[in-house]
Amino acid sequence: MAHKIMITKKMIVLTAVIGSLLIMASITANTIWESKQAAAATDEAVSAVSAFYLEAMADRRAKAITNLINDSFDEMEKAVTFIDGEQIGSQDELRNTIGKVESLLSLNRFALVDEDDIVYTRYTTYTGRSRHSFLSGEEKKSRTISTVSLYGSSKQLCLVIPTPDQFDIQDIVDLLAFDDQGRTHFALYSKSGANLSGTELGPVISDHNLLKAVRGIVSEDVLEEIQGNFSNEKEGNLSFVSGNTHETLYYVPIQGTGWEMAVLIHESVIQDRIQGISKKYLETSKSLIIFTLVSTLTLAIIILFQIRSLSKAKLLAEEENSRVFRNMANTDSLTGVRNKHAYSENEAVLNGRIQSGELQALGVVVCDINGLKHVNDTRGHAAGDQLIKDACAMICNYFKHGAVFRIGGDEFVVLLQGRGYETMRDVIAELNRQVEANIKKNSVVISVGYSVLNQGDQQLRDIFDRADRMMYERKKELKAMGASPSRI
Amino acid sequence: MPGIGKLTGLLISALIAAFIFAACSLASPASGSGDDVPSDNLGASAEAPAISTGSDESVRSAVDFEHELDAYVPLKDHYNFYFTYKTVHPWWDAVALGMEEAQRQFLDKGITITYEYMAPDVASAEDQKKKLLAAEQKDYDVIGVDVADERIISPLLDEMVDSGTKVMTFSSSDAAAGCKRIAYVGNTHNYRDGADLTEAICEKLGYKGKVAILVGSVGAPCHEDRARGARDTIAKYGDMEIVATEYDMDSVDIAYDLTLGILEKCPDLDGIICCNMSNPVGAARAITEKGSNAVIVGMDHDEEALRYLDDGVIYCLGVQDCYSIGFDTIQTAVKIADGNQAGELFPEKTDEITTIIFQKNAALMLELLYGEM
Repeated sequence: MAHKIMITKKMIVLTAVIGSLLIMASITANTIWESKQAAAATDEAVSAVSAFYLEAMADRRAKAITNLINDSFDEMEKAVTFIDGEQIGSQDELRNTIGKVESLLSLNRFALVDEDDIVYTRYTTYTGRSRHSFLSGEEKKSRTISTVSLYGSSKQLCLVIPTPDQFDIQDIVDLLAFDDQGRTHFALYSKSGANLSGTELGPVISDHNLLKAVRGIVSEDVLEEIQGNFSNEKEGNLSFVSGNTHETLYYVPIQGTGWEMAVLIHESVIQDRIQGISKKYLETSKSLIIFTLVSTLTLAIIILFQIRSLSKAKLLAEEENSRVFRNMANTDSLTGVRNKHAYSENEAVLNGRIQSGELQALGVVVCDINGLKHVNDTRGHAAGDQLIKDACAMICNYFKHGAVFRIGGDEFVVLLQGRGYETMRDVIAELNRQVEANIKKNSVVISVGYSVLNQGDQQLRDIFDRADRMMYERKKELKAMGASPSRI
Repeated sequence: MPGIGKLTGLLISALIAAFIFAACSLASPASGSGDDVPSDNLGASAEAPAISTGSDESVRSAVDFEHELDAYVPLKDHYNFYFTYKTVHPWWDAVALGMEEAQRQFLDKGITITYEYMAPDVASAEDQKKKLLAAEQKDYDVIGVDVADERIISPLLDEMVDSGTKVMTFSSSDAAAGCKRIAYVGNTHNYRDGADLTEAICEKLGYKGKVAILVGSVGAPCHEDRARGARDTIAKYGDMEIVATEYDMDSVDIAYDLTLGILEKCPDLDGIICCNMSNPVGAARAITEKGSNAVIVGMDHDEEALRYLDDGVIYCLGVQDCYSIGFDTIQTAVKIADGNQAGELFPEKTDEITTIIFQKNAALMLELLYGEM
């Protein structure tokens, strides 16, 4: 047999609460997930933008240096042409000419070197083989670039065509710094990673040897790759985290110099801006979460109250229905008094009380309508029904303090307790007088018998039976008085 | 009496101290440039080599890049000098940088300094003599010499001074004692430098072992003085033995070959005392190649030598302040050109410092001099 599941109020409330919690959890988790996705996408975008930005910056600066060097070469070639046109006959004239070249072409320093590697500058003449590495090699036939380490950490870039010009790296640094306007860090490095420009590449690498500075920060594989790139004049990039600092740098070789130009940008430069947007987005997300939570909670509370109200109303309606149905089940539809079913219920209750000795006084009156069958047979059921109603009204009218039951077609029982019990005999006497009067008027005749609770009674039936016997005796008396069915 | 006994003890102690002091003085060289001899230090502010305490400050002070011209007002607006030094070598490039800084500062004051700064590829007193004779024929305000061989060059300098040429000595080597050159700017304590480096190696070896001495150019006063300082110091310790003394003529390659030869003859060599800039580089290359444990002490600031110091191959180096030597040389030359003599305006010997540095100082020194860390 299939069990029918009953939906209780508790189940509805529980379902509503769990449902609301699930919705809230779902919305919250979704919002958090979306926020994290957005943050991850932002980071990815920052890295991509940083790398792209750095690559572009590094390329641009490498080209700027190359252009600067090429310009200097061009100027030096003009200088050589100029010197060729001068009639130089003494060291003083040579120095003066070199001075003119420096002034005319705005060269930082300009020198000539003879076949004995004697260097001639505006103010000095010196043996330069140990000072300038390019002098120790073969005769220069084309443009040559050489880096010179000076005592005291200074570095120079010598341009040779074949006469060397000493080109101050500081000029390059100044040029790039002017171009950069403080947006990035940059530095020039030798193949060994030595800092040539003296500029700081961020707080971690600072002005140290780049390859040594990142040792221990990046993996050995990455370090080897960078060393290889520096040695082979290749470009590349490097990202590392040191403490709370996350930095990305890009390096490109500068053609013909053996240098690497490294550009570093704190991701914060871009990230700060993007994170500003991201932060705003996260704030919005937070607000959305709070708003959603509050809204859902409010909605859940409203739904709960509504469900509760509905449940209560439904419950009341059901109770009312139940009461109506119960009344209908216990009421005689014709007379409106309680019926046989109601009597049986009362009988069961009273039996219990009799047996327990709780009930001290009880009167039972049995009433029977005389001539009902004759009326039904002769005048129709409508007249019979009317007789029943009239008889019932008469009984109810006399027994105002008792419970009237119609237990059969023409039979009524009145149960009397309290005041009804006390006045029972008087009322019956009045009723009997009225009945006797009715015989003469051809009106309603009711035979009445009664009894009360006696010691030794075990159930209501015991009292009823005595009253019923008395009622039959009365019926006989009334018949004797002239009450015949044909007269009603 | 107890009081008399104590007084006698004090007197004896004083006598012993005086004797030791006198003995030390007598141990100073009787020949050569005579550096560290008080009578030769007239007007000089002679200082003993500084031993680095290991602090950054002591290392930074070994080379002074911060110089300003003194208040002297030159008489002319243009000076032309001639300088010649022993050999083409990075050590003198460092001197040149100090000279160029002084030249630049004079130029800022409206005074033009021009000069030649010349050396042969290989150290040669004869070549230096030729250069000086040629320069004497030209109208230089002052001729400066880093003496290649005092026995050959000192008489020539005297002749030049006698003929009216203004002559000074500079950088690593002065002329012989009594030379008429007007002044000297440079290291005045080469003997002490050699002695101090040797003391360091003796202490490191526990005052027992076999050592070799590498010297630079034959006759170069600074190298010879350092070698004498080394020999005299070794002589103090009975368990120390000098197994070889060789000259590399200021060539790293020769120093390397000489060291290999010494190690072949004496595989259990305990140490090498290097008296110039090329010696320690060549020696370090050789002992690294041979896997020898010989302790190396040497002179100067060659980049490769500093790296060997950083790696622990070289035990210590005596670093001279070349930059200051160059700067002071130009400043002194201007005063000499104006007819001044040693005295109030400049000392007869302008002393420059030497600082002995060890492995712990190498990285900082590399950074200071070569921008490498």
